[in-house]
Amino acid sequence: MLRDYVPVLLHIVVAIGFAVSALLVSVLLGKTGRRTRTKDSAYECGMVPEGGAQPRFSVKFYLVAMLFILFDVEIVFMYPWAVVYRESVVQSKAILWSMLSFVSVLMVGYAYALKKGALDWKK
Amino acid sequence: MISAPVLEFATVGLGLLLLLIEAFATTLPRRTIAFAGILGLLAVFVATFFVATPPPNGGFWNFYTADPLALFFKRFAIITTILVLLMMIDYAPVVRAFVHGATTEAGVGEFYALPIFTCAGLMWMASAIDFIMIFVSLELVTVSFYVLVGFMRRNAASLEAGVKYLILSAVSTGFLVYGITWIFGVTGETNLARVASAVIAGVDRGPALFGMALVLVALGFKIAAVPFQIWVPDVYQGAPTPVTAFLSVGSKAAGFVVLLRVLAPFFMLPEVQRLLVGIAVLTLIYGNLAALPQNNLKRLLAYSSIAHAGYLLIGVVAFAGNAIAFYLVAYLLMTILSFAVLVVVSQTGGDSIENFDGLSRRSPFLAFAMLIAMASLAGVPFTAGFFGKFFVFDAAIRQHHIALAAIGVITVACGFYYYFKVVRAMYWEAPVANTAIPVSALTRVAMVALMIAIVVLGVYPTPVLNALR
Repeated sequence: MLRDYVPVLLHIVVAIGFAVSALLVSVLLGKTGRRTRTKDSAYECGMVPEGGAQPRFSVKFYLVAMLFILFDVEIVFMYPWAVVYRESVVQSKAILWSMLSFVSVLMVGYAYALKKGALDWKK
Repeated sequence: MISAPVLEFATVGLGLLLLLIEAFATTLPRRTIAFAGILGLLAVFVATFFVATPPPNGGFWNFYTADPLALFFKRFAIITTILVLLMMIDYAPVVRAFVHGATTEAGVGEFYALPIFTCAGLMWMASAIDFIMIFVSLELVTVSFYVLVGFMRRNAASLEAGVKYLILSAVSTGFLVYGITWIFGVTGETNLARVASAVIAGVDRGPALFGMALVLVALGFKIAAVPFQIWVPDVYQGAPTPVTAFLSVGSKAAGFVVLLRVLAPFFMLPEVQRLLVGIAVLTLIYGNLAALPQNNLKRLLAYSSIAHAGYLLIGVVAFAGNAIAFYLVAYLLMTILSFAVLVVVSQTGGDSIENFDGLSRRSPFLAFAMLIAMASLAGVPFTAGFFGKFFVFDAAIRQHHIALAAIGVITVACGFYYYFKVVRAMYWEAPVANTAIPVSALTRVAMVALMIAIVVLGVYPTPVLNALR
């Protein structure tokens, strides 16, 4: 069974081998440029870098992004559900109820987030 | 008669309801949320006795079972959560001091509501007989713990604990999923019973064992077995004390139920046996020896929790479900009791053992409660802890694991030293202050109930042993 994976192993070996040999060849044959302070600094579209590399962001960005993902995933689940069960939903109400319970859990979360002012940017 | 999954749905519904109350009823005292949670959980607890026998396998019942083991651990999870909520009420001032919000009560409501979701996860875990179900319920437990462990966000220790728990737990989840993938890859099944029949039918053993080993890594993390115990001391020390108690009882018990269910197909393989014996011995020795020099009680209880995982692993090696269940009940009673005393005492000073100096003169009741808890943790006869260890060793000897039982007995002696260090501080040291320590009536009732349970089970263990039949 493991023999089937020999191509994968080969792929890994070739990938690592290529990377290592390319680096090795460039060290052995290539020329090293002169290093200056400016050259060693972070490249920012050719501009002189300004400020630290890790500025602080308001935590609101994360909050909004997180909520967005949560409710986005809800849609991701709903769409295939609607497509797959389009016909059979008439026969079994359980399909409908399970989706409604899933949505209602998220609705509680939405009401909670709204009431707590998570979507209120100025707060 | 109700269908078993209704219990979990009711618990989740209760949690959601409490969250809505917390958000919309802003003038209500937060304490009410905790009491509502306790009452709701009590109702669910009563409902566990009216569960209809499940239909034979098929559909949903391939993922979920309501056998006696599952029902037993559902009740276990509910009782643990109720006791943790009671402890949280006492702990609320500390949370208030470290969570700054719009109001002084900010965050306390969520602190009471989140354990309900953990409880639902633990209950699902007790019933899970499919790797998918195990994974999802495990995640529900872990994700709610991420929030609870780092709950006091203005407290550096709690934040540190939260980050450590998040990262290490995520890594262990990775191991779990990868292990499940290997097992699925070989057997083509995620249902534990069908995996078992595939293993017996003789699939390729190597990859299946590899997958099993990876799953063991993840579960070893949950139950705090050596060498996956690195996170335990720091996280237990930094987390809010009730959450530490919850982690050390709830998370561990659920880990053991899953371990018993997952191991069943692989149990007759000698490789698995040897691996388990190795882990058990390491856990016993490490947990007990590392607990010896501890001066902080929370840290000491963290190492003691590792040591108890070792004794429970002896039970797993002997595959004695009854012994493990009894041990876990005893462990629940004594651990929650010692953390409950710690919550009250630590608010007058800190978590170190010095803060317990002369406790017998400041509050004879608390000192006596702690004495019972420590005696039971050490395994003194006539306490539940003694029978817990006794049944586990007995099961090991019956399976001819004499050396393992011997190591267990030797490490118990080690335990006597560090548990009685606390007792010595309480009864023989001069008090740090002369002020009496107030204990609320509710906490007093809970502590008395726990003490009675410890002593009764230490004399008459039959009810718990029969519960699994």
